Amino acid sequence: MTRSFGRLVPREKGAAPLDLVIAVMAFLAALALGASMLAARASEGWRAGLADHVTVQILVPEQGDVNTVMANEVEAALVVLRATPGIGHAAPLSDKEMQALVEPWLGKGALVADLPLPRLIDGSIVPGAAVDMSSLAARLKQAAPDAELDDHSHWIARLSTLADSIQWSALGVLVLIAIATASTVAFATRAGLEAQHEMVALLHQMGAHALFIARAFERHYALATLGASLAGASIAATLFALAGGLEFAGIEPVPFLPPIALKLSELAWLVAVPIVATAIAWITARLSVLAAVREIY
Amino acid sequence: MRYGAGPEVLRDVTFVLESGSFTFLTGLSGAGKTTLLKLIYLGEPPSRGLITLFGHDMATARRGDFPAIRRRIGVVFQDFRLLPHLSAFDNVALPLKLAGRHEGDYEHDVEELLSWVGLGDRMHAKPATLSGGEQQRIAIARAVVARPDLLIADEPTGNVDAEIGGRLIRLFGELNRLGTTVLIATHDRALIESGRAKEMRLVDGRLVELRSAGRP
Ligand SMILES: Nc1ncnc2c1ncn2[C@@H]1O[C@H](COP(=O)(O)OP(=O)(O)OP(=O)(O)O)[C@@H](O)[C@H]1O
Ligand SMILES: [Mg+2]
Repeated sequence: MTRSFGRLVPREKGAAPLDLVIAVMAFLAALALGASMLAARASEGWRAGLADHVTVQILVPEQGDVNTVMANEVEAALVVLRATPGIGHAAPLSDKEMQALVEPWLGKGALVADLPLPRLIDGSIVPGAAVDMSSLAARLKQAAPDAELDDHSHWIARLSTLADSIQWSALGVLVLIAIATASTVAFATRAGLEAQHEMVALLHQMGAHALFIARAFERHYALATLGASLAGASIAATLFALAGGLEFAGIEPVPFLPPIALKLSELAWLVAVPIVATAIAWITARLSVLAAVREIY
Repeated sequence: MRYGAGPEVLRDVTFVLESGSFTFLTGLSGAGKTTLLKLIYLGEPPSRGLITLFGHDMATARRGDFPAIRRRIGVVFQDFRLLPHLSAFDNVALPLKLAGRHEGDYEHDVEELLSWVGLGDRMHAKPATLSGGEQQRIAIARAVVARPDLLIADEPTGNVDAEIGGRLIRLFGELNRLGTTVLIATHDRALIESGRAKEMRLVDGRLVELRSAGRP
């Protein structure tokens, strides 16, 4: 009986635009959800990438044999670094790496090779280890007077602020769109039911239980919403997958920005959009029908 | 009985419909016939007064008991109240569906009933494509199909010719013989004279018994 009862609820005229609105809102909600996951991942990445490294810079000394002094100081700084708990790996950048670093600004060639460049030592911090940066800096200064420790804290602080604001904005947009989507679904369901009031009243008059009537309608509206929101979310998921495919093929859709491809596990989260939308339609339909029946007598 | 803060439409109306009886309700247009029927079929709560249905005092009955009581009452509404998106067949089958019966069980009964009211060939038509009289006959078929204990019909022959009207009254009589209590509001004198049923008349919001007789 439940099957044939489902057919009792007509596909009301004028439902197509509402379905379209639900699909569009689901699309936007899925985009916002994906974007906020990307923002979270990217800002975590920035933070982690900077935070697990220190750079020691050996500046070009004012007097003496520049090359021997600097070579000695590099050795001394390395000893200090390697003796510091929490510092995993420490190695000076080779001349080649140094040249690669300055090349964008100074160009290639003999001129660059002759320039007195500071030496850089890259040290990695063991994940989770806390390194006392000020004591490290002091010890470095003692061993190598021209050494400067850069723990990136200045950059990390600024990037952190940026990452935080990106995350919060993405979350804010997501919440706004989620609210708009939820209201759209609830509104569409209520509007559809409004048009069916005659039928609700008649079924009630004929002795159908309120829950029984509600079940017929909630199934109808949940299915309609499921279809529309699934379509919208699928399009968004396809876009993310497409962007991921491009990046995989080595084409950057948006240069300089972090990758916009979602991992499969993140993509799976988009399923939440149609599920939540369907649940909202379901609950709205049930509550609206029960309220309508209660008013009839 | 009054609607909202309006004037009292019915007052001092006291009567008993004997189980298995056949009664006509008459009165001028606006006298309150539909209002009285609504009170009986639980379409409207009384502003004051007591209604007892099948031994249940409706003032004290639990809301949860209402659906079961409503299912024992078949109603032909003055304005039909057919579901426009359902075929004639599905409209008539609605009470059986609500009673939890399967289409295979009642298909034959519904078809036979539709043939009896002269709509055997319009079974799959939507109400909008049917004439007023045809819609009325669907409404009647829907009211009687589940063999209710109480049949309430509001102007059930208002839109049909004498021949169909005669057929319909035989249908009501048949149902009554099977044990259904019948209450029909009508202006149709021919219908009333056709049998020897009891007639109650609404005058100035009060009930006047004109004729108490046997069955048609
Ligand atoms: N829903 C309503 N709200 C307010 N007043 C109503 C309502 N329904 C009926 N009335 C009033 O109650 C009175 C009785 O109406 P009712 O429909 O019961 O008359 P009736 O005897 O069925 O008339 P008819 O023969 O024309 O069908 C009328 O004055 C009408 O205006
Ligand atoms: Mg009336």
